[in-house]
Amino acid sequence: MFRIHCPHCREARSEEEFSYAGEAHIPRPVDPSSLSDSEWGEYLHTRTNPRGPHREMWVHTAGCRRYFNVLRDTVSYKILAVYPVGEMPPEQGEA
Amino acid sequence: MSEPPGVVCRECPDRAFVNVRGDVGDPRLRDAVAQVAGVDLPREPGTWNQADRSRAYWLGPDEWLLVVEGDDGLEVEGRLRSALDGHFSVVDVTGTQVHKELSGPDVGKVLQKSSPYDFHPRHFPPGRCAQTVFAKATALVAAREDGAFDIVFRRSYADYFMRWLADAAAEYGYRLD
Ligand SMILES: [Zn+2]
Repeated sequence: MFRIHCPHCREARSEEEFSYAGEAHIPRPVDPSSLSDSEWGEYLHTRTNPRGPHREMWVHTAGCRRYFNVLRDTVSYKILAVYPVGEMPPEQGEA
Repeated sequence: MSEPPGVVCRECPDRAFVNVRGDVGDPRLRDAVAQVAGVDLPREPGTWNQADRSRAYWLGPDEWLLVVEGDDGLEVEGRLRSALDGHFSVVDVTGTQVHKELSGPDVGKVLQKSSPYDFHPRHFPPGRCAQTVFAKATALVAAREDGAFDIVFRRSYADYFMRWLADAAAEYGYRLD
């Protein structure tokens, strides 16, 4: 159990108020019908699954119900950054 | 002789609940709400405003819950729709919501043991509101000037919520009005 700072509510809240919403920065292909099966499968299923900093989406399900991005270390669970959807994480994010 | 109860729960009947979404930077939205409901939309996260018989709770950066007391509350949605112009959402959610008032000297302790949220008055003074988990249900909790709390939750959670409350408050003495 950890606490996450919601950038919309502007305070740290208990993890149980949130839901994990998958890896961040995976754009939906503009024209899915032009993709091969393997390209579409790549988009749907292939994830980076890093050991270390991971860029991921969270939604404040029981609070403001808004999405945001989190840079979280998958080893220590330490949250390194919280940043808005549509933006890239601050410097250490290119891990 | 029985002691006065530490926690008193009272139903707040006869109020309309309207969910409003829109751009708070747009004066047309703020003006329409002020004109129809007589209350200013709070811009500060986790706060609520009260004026006359209306309350406006911050739910998200572009979302509020309006609670309006009185017989004509069900007309609020229609009046807002007529007064609004542009990109917005107004939905009457009266049938889905229950509004209770929790008061008494031990109400803070019951909230603190029921939720991971920090309801200590240092962090949650009058004027603050928060949507959080209350045991396994979700609820909107608002701190009032008189030391009581307003709690709004979904009707489908009512049985669960009220049973939890009665159990959690039993050790302090609980009365349901
Ligand atoms: Zn939030």
